[in-house]
Amino acid sequence: MTRTPHLQAPANVAAAEADIDVVQRLAAGDRDAVAELYDRHAARVLGLAYRIVRNSSDAEDVVQEVFAQAWRTAPNYERTRGTVAGWLLMMARTRAIDRLRSRQARRDDGESNLEAMPAVVEPPSDRLIADEQAARVREALLALPVEQKTALELAYFEGLTQSEIAERLRTPLGTIKTRIRSALASLRRSVRP
Amino acid sequence: MTMDRHVEIADRLEAYVLGQLSSDERREIDAHLASCATCAHDVRDLNDVFAGIGESVPPIAPPPALRQRVVNAVAVTPQEPGRTVVMKSRRRPLWVRATWAAAAAIVLAVGVVAYRIDQSRQQLASDVAQLRTDNDGLQERLRQFSAQTDLALSILTAADMREIPLTGSDSYATAAARAYLSPTRGLLVVADRMPVPPPGRIYQVWVIENGTPASAGLLAEPSSGRGMLIATPPRLGAGGSVTVAVTDEPPGGLLAPSGSIRLAGSI
Repeated sequence: MTRTPHLQAPANVAAAEADIDVVQRLAAGDRDAVAELYDRHAARVLGLAYRIVRNSSDAEDVVQEVFAQAWRTAPNYERTRGTVAGWLLMMARTRAIDRLRSRQARRDDGESNLEAMPAVVEPPSDRLIADEQAARVREALLALPVEQKTALELAYFEGLTQSEIAERLRTPLGTIKTRIRSALASLRRSVRP
Repeated sequence: MTMDRHVEIADRLEAYVLGQLSSDERREIDAHLASCATCAHDVRDLNDVFAGIGESVPPIAPPPALRQRVVNAVAVTPQEPGRTVVMKSRRRPLWVRATWAAAAAIVLAVGVVAYRIDQSRQQLASDVAQLRTDNDGLQERLRQFSAQTDLALSILTAADMREIPLTGSDSYATAAARAYLSPTRGLLVVADRMPVPPPGRIYQVWVIENGTPASAGLLAEPSSGRGMLIATPPRLGAGGSVTVAVTDEPPGGLLAPSGSIRLAGSI
């Protein structure tokens, strides 16, 4: 199997290994390990959930669901598919979008659910390196041509399919596919320079 | 696997990672990933990119109470069995993995499996107990409901049944209410378009004979504007005039009426 080695700085590796250790304890039936996982990742999970649902009560429900799901599915976590942080954030994104969709389906009166943005915290120091990677992605996102960025954000933060994005932006499906593919290619280069 | 097939799968990897595929499509791609190193590598990269987008969102300090909520939720959540007994590590040397795997497989297999069986057994026992209680409650309600229906039918079809229109004034003028009184079978009172009773009050039904009121019971469900009462036969003397009346009273009702008469009818 030809796998290019993933270039990670040592502090990032240590944090990732500590994450794996916590998930292995969960998988072995240690419920207490969830508090540790929560302390390491809750702020990020809440940040992403809030970015998608734009409602603090729904976002907190998502956090609760994500950590319960992490406990439930820990025995089937596959480290070859990605980092623990990525696993938690993917669950958070899926659940937040489910909530967003069911709320949109329920809400016919057009009332806005936007709230003031809660206070942002300083990230803990042991995540600085991972934050460098996040910062690189953020920069790469900002550097994307605006039409690529819009298409990617609709897919990621609003959970729209490529056909739905094409419809929303009144743009041919093939064009949307190309924009998302090009955007992802640029982001991949930023993660693996 | 033809090259076209591979290209066709690779075309859907973004949608796969974003969770936009049906479960059938997911299974198809899962199967492909198990045998295609290129696509498996692409999926890992895409996961990392999407994790990067997720991590690029500013974190928010969770409210302190949320931590305990999460711990409480996990305490009542059962865990799925794993597809694999031991998680693979790419970093440890083979002999460490082998020793760890052999020891851990035995400990985990015995400990975790026993723990999970016990968990499932306890969950099942508690589910069964809950279902039994639910079932008993439903049976009891069904029995009561069916007894009430029998009584109502026997009142309506009794040879000695008298129909008494009940009327009121003011906001009660529009209410449609009737009493069906059978001295041998019982009393049925039905009402529709009743005003909501005054705050903290309920409707009570009285049978008044020779000026002496006796409670027949409470009119159920007045809040929806509809009410019904099915009661056993009131004690009646021979012959005299009988009035059926509805008053509002404090919750639970009283032995003698205290509130205003809202609806009444006589025979």
